[in-house]
Amino acid sequence: MANYSGLIEQERYTCAIGALQTVVAIRHAVPLLHSGPGCGSMIAGFFERSKGYAGGDTSPCTAFTEKEVVFGGIEKLRHNIENTYKVLDTDLQVVLTGCTGGIVGDDVESLVMEYQDKGKPIVWVDTPGFKSNNLVAHSSVVNAIIDQYVSRFEEENEPRSERNTVNLFASIPYQDPFWKGNLREYKRLLEGLGLKVNVLFGPESEGVKEWQQIPRANFNILVSPWYGKTIVDKLKREYGQDYFWFHYPPIGANATREFLEGVLTFAVEQGAKIDSGKAFSFIDAEENSYYEEIDNLASFLLEFRYGLPKYVHILHDAGYVTGLSRFLLHETGIVPVEQYVVDNTPAKYQEQIQETIRSFSGKRDIGVTFLPDAGLAQQKIREVKEKHDGKGLIIGSSWDGDLAKELDDAYVCAAHPMELRLVLTTNYVGFTGGLRVIEDVYNTALKIYE
Amino acid sequence: MAQEIRQIAIYGKGGIGKSTTTQNLTAGLAEMGKKVMVVGCDPKADSTRLLLGTLAQRTVLDTIRENGDDVELDSILKEGFGGIRCVESGGPEPGVGCAGRGIITSIGLLEQEGAYTEDLDYVFYDVLGDVVCGGFAMPMREGKAKEIYIVASGEMMALYAANNISKGIAKYAKKSGVRLGGIICNSRNVDREKDLLEAFAKELNTQLIYFVPRDNVVQRAEINRKTVIQYDPKSSQATEYRNLAQAIDKNQLFTIPTPMTQERLEEILLEFGLMDSLKDNYVI
Repeated sequence: MANYSGLIEQERYTCAIGALQTVVAIRHAVPLLHSGPGCGSMIAGFFERSKGYAGGDTSPCTAFTEKEVVFGGIEKLRHNIENTYKVLDTDLQVVLTGCTGGIVGDDVESLVMEYQDKGKPIVWVDTPGFKSNNLVAHSSVVNAIIDQYVSRFEEENEPRSERNTVNLFASIPYQDPFWKGNLREYKRLLEGLGLKVNVLFGPESEGVKEWQQIPRANFNILVSPWYGKTIVDKLKREYGQDYFWFHYPPIGANATREFLEGVLTFAVEQGAKIDSGKAFSFIDAEENSYYEEIDNLASFLLEFRYGLPKYVHILHDAGYVTGLSRFLLHETGIVPVEQYVVDNTPAKYQEQIQETIRSFSGKRDIGVTFLPDAGLAQQKIREVKEKHDGKGLIIGSSWDGDLAKELDDAYVCAAHPMELRLVLTTNYVGFTGGLRVIEDVYNTALKIYE
Repeated sequence: MAQEIRQIAIYGKGGIGKSTTTQNLTAGLAEMGKKVMVVGCDPKADSTRLLLGTLAQRTVLDTIRENGDDVELDSILKEGFGGIRCVESGGPEPGVGCAGRGIITSIGLLEQEGAYTEDLDYVFYDVLGDVVCGGFAMPMREGKAKEIYIVASGEMMALYAANNISKGIAKYAKKSGVRLGGIICNSRNVDREKDLLEAFAKELNTQLIYFVPRDNVVQRAEINRKTVIQYDPKSSQATEYRNLAQAIDKNQLFTIPTPMTQERLEEILLEFGLMDSLKDNYVI
């Protein structure tokens, strides 16, 4: 984690145990919380509508009391695991350790190994809140599943045995509010190129069966500025799978074409059998449908002069700040001004992210600030209001709505906490994702005429 | 108004003889007619064995483990030699849970259950080894024990631990008013031990309150599960412990310690201990 000390007013992510959502997103998997009773509720509250099969306060939990602190909570956890087996028929159990268990030093690993020795599909991962946040712990959970579960099926899943199969590591389930729709869209697009895709999370995945087959993939795709990097690094070490790294979610025509063409070239290099002609026709067709809508929109954009946003502030994770900045600048003409990356990006990735964003414009320097304190970011946005002419747009969480009202800016809620917007299957990535962003942005602009 | 209870915590390196010293010293105080309670703050629960003539049957934490917070004082507080009330905090199995939190829990429970009655003159906390975390500092926090005595000897590690413990005391001195009452030397017959301990105490801004000589009667008494005062009341060692009890009872010198750097500690050791013994060996 980046070194940030001091008081944070508005954290837009959670502590490490929030990575229980990574488990919730795997079909028929259950997180078991070795933590205080409030942890699950807190996570469910932060993400809203996020309990899935057995998440949030429906997750089995040891509900630490003073007794477990003093004497250790292992026996209670054993009890919890045993009873979970009695009442839930799950494909994968992941024990996540909270703060108290972590401080007390409970030997969760040995206990879980007892059940692993009995052949149970159970995994443990160290996620005390003080250790990291949910963006980092997402990778810890995935890597723990690879180490302790996927590795058991290596014999029947020879590494890199399927030339056209890829594992995709993109949206962090739930932390990315559009993760379900995004994974579906990535899958559809990549299948259009002739690849078979393991998305691992959500309804588009086949659940643990797909996880077991991770080694078979020829290569991996990472779509992220930094989170998830340790997963693809690990898979490279373990199974010799190289990875194609696209640093931000591709939104709209330019980035999506670049992403798909990049994957295509990489796949061919890796020895995948791809019919390039077919793949390019697919990309062209997708792009044509995108521009069909842009054509229809053009007259509106050109003639509707009042109230459309001219510039945008985005408060989001590094991926969305990058992806949306590029899209809004090049495909809608809304100029990204001061941008705030609020995901606590580790220092070593910050320069690369800034460099990527700078490369989007030869004329303007898009200001990017890495600031895990989104409250402070809001203050900074207030302070620069006078600098900018015309209507502003703020893309952020539900917590930024009041700021937009105060500044008379247009506003799109696209980040957590998101209590004031319902997202089910919406995607923001891909050609269709770009159109959806346009709908969201201009709908909010049109609202002023209501 | 009843006189305030003198609450005293005994710290020192593991194995230095804290429990032996505490029990013999409190036996001396009990002989003087003082009302004393000893609270063992060590998961091994052997701080009151000599006073009770047996290991405490149930510790505070055993009781909490089995019955929750609903604890009857009678079930954990036993009277031993000279009417001394004995309690053992107890703790988890080695390597499991958090013993430090256990101490916080059990002292909290003793307070809640009214173990600190007005007729008490003294409460002694016999604390495990070094101050390794917040839990083991519990007796000196929040004004529980106002006086600390550190048991030490002329051996380097004992002094190293004593210096470290002093850091803990200095840390809490301002907030909780805890003070160091002195160093008790439990002699290991090291060369020039008394001089070394006096110099060490002075450097630490405290006193060597008593020098307890080494005597095998202590071990014999321990095998018989008794304090020396009970086992062999006429022995000279029994007198030493009575004198220690007197010294503690009369003590007026309470200071905020001034812990030293590791380098300074080693200098003192060289000056008073190691250098001379090396020279002596050389002469021999």
